[in-house]
Amino acid sequence: METFINPKSLFHLLLLPCLLLYSSIAYNSSPVEAAMHTNNWAVLVCTSRFWFNYRHMANTLSLYRTVKRLGIPDERIILMLADDMACNTRNKYPAQVFNNENHRLNLYGDNVEVDYRGYEVTVENFLRVLTGRHETAVPRSKRLLSDEGSHILLYMTGHGGDEFLKFQDSEELQSHDLADAVKQMKEKHRFKELLIMVDTCQAATLFNQLQSPGVLAIGSSMKGENSYSHHLDSDVGVSVVDRFTYYTLAFFERLNIYDNASLSSLFSSYNPSLLMSTAYYRKDLYKRRLEEVPVTNFFGSVMETIHTDAAYKALSRRNSGRFEDEMSLDQSVHHIKRRMLIKVNDGDEIHDINPEGEEGASKCPWSTFRNKFQKAENVDSLLNYGLVAMIPLLVISTWLVQ
Amino acid sequence: MAETKEKSLSDEKPKPRVRPIVRLGIFLISHSFLVSIVCCTAGVLALFLLPVLAKNTYISENALMPGSASPMLSNQHVSDGNRLVKDLTNPNSKSSETGIESHKIIAQYMLDLGAEVSFHKFHPQMNQFHPLHFFSSPVSGKIQENYSCSSYGINTVGIIRAPRGDGKEAIVLVTPYNALKSGFGEALSLGIAYSVFSLLTQVTWLAKDIIWLVADSQYGEYAAVAAWLREYQTPKFSSLSTPNAEMCPDVNNLFELKGHSISGSKFSNSFRRAGTMAAALVLKVRDQNEQFEDTISIYAEASNGQMPNLDLINVVNYLAVHRQGLRVNVEKLWPLLNSSWLKSLGEIFESLAKVAKSLYPKWKFGIPATEYVEGTATLASSLYYQALGVPTGPHGAFRDYQVDAITLEISPKFSLDKVWRNDILLRGGRLIEGVIRSVNNLLEKFHQSFFLYLLTSPSKFVSVGVYMIAFALLIAPLPMVAASLYVDANSSSNCSKGDSSTPSAITDTDEHGIAIRSWRWLNSAKLVFIVHLWGAIVSLLPYFISQIPDCSPTTSFMIWVLLSILSLLTLNSVLASPLACAKATQEKEWALVKSVTISSVFIGLGLMSVINFATAEIGALLMVPMCLLARPLKLDVRAGTLRSFCRLICNLVLGHIAFPPAAFFLLKGMLDGFGNANVGDFWMWVESLWAWNSATYLFIGMVQLPCWVLCVSILFHTC
Repeated sequence: METFINPKSLFHLLLLPCLLLYSSIAYNSSPVEAAMHTNNWAVLVCTSRFWFNYRHMANTLSLYRTVKRLGIPDERIILMLADDMACNTRNKYPAQVFNNENHRLNLYGDNVEVDYRGYEVTVENFLRVLTGRHETAVPRSKRLLSDEGSHILLYMTGHGGDEFLKFQDSEELQSHDLADAVKQMKEKHRFKELLIMVDTCQAATLFNQLQSPGVLAIGSSMKGENSYSHHLDSDVGVSVVDRFTYYTLAFFERLNIYDNASLSSLFSSYNPSLLMSTAYYRKDLYKRRLEEVPVTNFFGSVMETIHTDAAYKALSRRNSGRFEDEMSLDQSVHHIKRRMLIKVNDGDEIHDINPEGEEGASKCPWSTFRNKFQKAENVDSLLNYGLVAMIPLLVISTWLVQ
Repeated sequence: MAETKEKSLSDEKPKPRVRPIVRLGIFLISHSFLVSIVCCTAGVLALFLLPVLAKNTYISENALMPGSASPMLSNQHVSDGNRLVKDLTNPNSKSSETGIESHKIIAQYMLDLGAEVSFHKFHPQMNQFHPLHFFSSPVSGKIQENYSCSSYGINTVGIIRAPRGDGKEAIVLVTPYNALKSGFGEALSLGIAYSVFSLLTQVTWLAKDIIWLVADSQYGEYAAVAAWLREYQTPKFSSLSTPNAEMCPDVNNLFELKGHSISGSKFSNSFRRAGTMAAALVLKVRDQNEQFEDTISIYAEASNGQMPNLDLINVVNYLAVHRQGLRVNVEKLWPLLNSSWLKSLGEIFESLAKVAKSLYPKWKFGIPATEYVEGTATLASSLYYQALGVPTGPHGAFRDYQVDAITLEISPKFSLDKVWRNDILLRGGRLIEGVIRSVNNLLEKFHQSFFLYLLTSPSKFVSVGVYMIAFALLIAPLPMVAASLYVDANSSSNCSKGDSSTPSAITDTDEHGIAIRSWRWLNSAKLVFIVHLWGAIVSLLPYFISQIPDCSPTTSFMIWVLLSILSLLTLNSVLASPLACAKATQEKEWALVKSVTISSVFIGLGLMSVINFATAEIGALLMVPMCLLARPLKLDVRAGTLRSFCRLICNLVLGHIAFPPAAFFLLKGMLDGFGNANVGDFWMWVESLWAWNSATYLFIGMVQLPCWVLCVSILFHTC
C-alpha cells in the first residue's frame, strides 16, 4: 500500500475508499482471475479429411470468416484444415469452397491464412498448439500466443463418437486429452476464458472430463445422438454444411461488431427440431452469467476500451492486474457506458462507488494528468498575479528613472 | 454292503477325469446317427431359409455418395450420342468388309471430343485347356504363334485425362461392338457411352481418368476385353511382339489412314494406358424389347464364383431405381418361379412368421410368399452361376485382375421411335454418369462392402456369415459319422475276434493284433487314394481327347467314358483290388472304406468351400446324403425290414443322382426340358468349364467322381 504515501491532489483522496475495497478483493482472489480480458484468440479445427467430408472444411472456414468479420485478426486465428477441398480434383469449382448451395459466398477467397493444413493436422500438433509446447522452429504464426487475459474460442468439427474426436481418419483425440490440454493451459495462464464449440456426433461427451475453471463448452449433440449435415449441394455433389454450424452462422450473420447479443441468446437459438440433435452446453465451470456475456467476447475481438494516459507506463504486467481494474472502475463511473456489460468481479463494487471519495493512488497516469492540469491553472493565475505585481514595480521604476 | 460300496467308489476314483470337450465329442460320435439327421435337415432347411434371412443392401462406403450430385447430362449430349448412332446405323458405314469404317467413325468422334484415341489390335486367343496352368493367371505372357493376318479384332480405346487428377486411377467403360453385324442395340449402347463420354470431356470434377473401350466383339465379347486387359496389365518391353502388327498390311493401312485423315495429334498408334482401374462398367443394350418397363439387368459373376464388391451393385441399383426409374433385374432361375412346392414353402414360412410375430411383436422376419419364391429363384441362380465358375459376361475379364466390374444390360420398353430413343439415351447416360461420378469420389479400392455374398434380389443379399451356416450344418455330421464308423469297425472286429479266438490268447500277441488292426484303415485309405488318383487321371484325359481332330462332342464323351473305365480297371488290377476288397477275413471292411471316404469328402468339401462356396454347397447337397446313407445293398436286402428297404431305395436314387453326368442332365432337364438333351452336351459343358479355368471342373473330377465311385463300390460290396 505504498501507493498511498503521498497524496497529491484532492481528487485522489476521493478515490481512496473504492480502491481500498477493490484491492482487498484483488488480493483475495487469484491473480489470474483478476486478469482483465485483453485479447481474443480463435483456434478453428477441421479434423477430417477426404472429399466426402467437404462440409467439415466448409464449417470451419465459415467460422473463420465469421470471427474475422467480428474482429479477430488473422494473426490471432489458428486455422487447422485437415484436407484441401478447394483444390480437390473432385471439386467442380476449383479453388472455391461454399457453405451454401446458392454459392453466393466463396469461403476460400482472398486472405485465408491456413496455419496447419493436410497431414499437419494431427492430435499432437493440436495439443501442441493448445499447450504451447512447440519445437523451436515453429514460427510465431503457428503458435497460440495467448496470455492470462485471453478469451479463446476453440471450434472443432469432424467425426466423433463417445468421448473422442477422430483426426485424419487415423487417430483420435479423447476427452481426457482435451481436458488435460485445457488444464495445462489453465496452469500456464494461457487463457482467461475458453469457449469450446464442437460440431460432431455425440459432441457433448467430449466435455465430460473437463475440470478447469473458466471453460465454457457447447456441443452439437448429446450422447447417443448424431449431428447431421444441413443440406446437400447437388451441384458440387456433397453436403456443404452441418446443421449446428449452419444455425450458428445464421445467428452470427445477423450480428455486427457492435451488437451485444449474449451467449445465452446464442445458446437458446438452437432449435433441437432443426438441428435434429440437442445442443448441449456445459457451464458449471464458467463463473459469469451467460446472459451478461456478449458473444463478441469470444467470436469477436470486442473488449472494454481502457483509456491510458501514457502508452507504455501502465503496462508493466506485474502490477497492472489490479491497476487496470481500477481504470475500468473509473471508466464505468466517469464515462458514458456504451454497453450494458458488467464484469462479474466488479459487479458488487460498482454499486459502492462513491465518486466523491478520497484521494487515491498517485501513480495513476490519468490522475497525474489531472494534477498537471490543475498545476497549469495555478501557473496561469500566478502569471496574472505576477503581471499585476509588475505594474507597481513598473511604476516605481519609471518614477525612479524620472 | 458298505464295503462293496466303498470298493466300487475306489474303483471309480482312479478313472482320469475327461475334459468336457472330449466328453462332448464322444457323446456326439456315439449319437452320430441322430446328429447327422438333425444337422443335415437343419442344413437343408437353413438353405431354404436364406431368402428369409437376406438383408437389405446398403451403401457401405461413405465416399461413394451415389446420387448426391445432380446429373449434368443434357439433351445436347444426347443429341451428340444420337448422331453417332445414326452414323453407325447408316448403311454406308457397313460397306467395308472388315468393319473398319465404323471403327474410324468412332475414333473420329472420340477425337473430336478431345480424347486420346488409339486402336488396339488383337488376335483372338482360343481358350484351351492347360492342365498345368489351371490356377495361374490368364496372362501367359506368350502369344500364339500361328495367327493369321485375316483374323484379328480391333478395339477402339478413348481416354479422357482428368484435368486436375494425378492420372493414377481410371474408370473403364466398355461397350462391346461387332462392326460386321451390329444390331441396333449395340449402336445404341455406343450412343449412350458416347453421350456420357462427351459430357465427361467437359466436366471439371474428374479425379480419375476415363477409358472408353469399344471392344470388337466379333470373336466374342470376353475375348476382346480380355485381350485388351492383358495388353494393358502386362506391358511388353521386348520388341519381338510388335513386328506382328506390321506384318499385316491391312492393319498398317488402317493406322496410316487414320494418321493422315486426322489432324489432331491425340491419335496414337501405340497402346495407351491410364492409371489403375478402380472399376469397370460393361454396357449393353438388348435388341429385343422388354414388355413392361425399361429394365436393366446386372450380371456380376466372374470366374470361380468371384463377385465384384457389393457396393458397386448397390450404387448401380440405387441410381437406377431411385434416380432414373429403371427396374433392376438380376438373373433368376425362371422355372423355379412357377413351382408350387416353393410357393407353399413360402406360405409356410410366412404363416410361421405371423405366428412368431403374434407371440412377440419384435420378431419381424417374415416375407410374403411371392417374394420368397422370387428370392429363392434369384438365390438359386446366384448359386448356380457362382458354382459354374464361368463369368456371365465380359466383366469377368476384369475380375481376373482384381478390378470390380459388372455388366449392365439395358432392355428398353418401346419400339424404336425418336422420342423413346432420346429417352433411353438420357436415362441410360445419366445412370452411367451417376455411377462414374460416384466411383470418381472413391478414394481407395472398393473394400468396404462384401465380396462374398449371394443375391436374393437386386437390393437384398445373404452374406458369407449367414450362408456358411447352412453349409457348415450340412457337412458337420461327416467327421462324426467317420469317427463313429471307425470306432464301430474296430470294436466290432475286436469283439468278433474275441469271440472266435480262445480266451487263452496271450496278451502280448493280442496287443500286437490290436496294433495291426488299428492300422487296418490304411487298407481302405489306399483304396480311397487310388480312386482319387484315378479321379485326377480322368480330369486330365480331356486334354488329350481334345487334341484329337474332328471329334464331335458325343464321340469325345464316349472316348472319355471308355478311357476312364479302362484306367480304373487298370489301376485296380495294378495297385489293388478295390471292388473285391472284402475278403472273408474282414467283414466290416466296407465300414472302414466308408469312414475314409467320408473323411476325404469332408476335406474336399471344406477346401472347395474356400475356393468356391457355391460349388461346395451344391456338391454337399448331392454328396453328403449319399455318403451318409451308403451301405452295402446286400445287407439291406438280407435284413428285409421296411427301414432297410427305404434305405435301399434312397441309396439307389442317390447313387444315380450323384453321378456327375446324371446330375448335369437332371439339372439341364429341369431348366430347359428333357426334350433336347444330348450326350454331347455334357462334354461341351465340361469343355466350357475347363476353358474358363473353373475350379468346379477340378472339384467334379477329383472330389465328386471319386466319392461317387467309392460309394457305389460300398453299395455293391460283397459281404
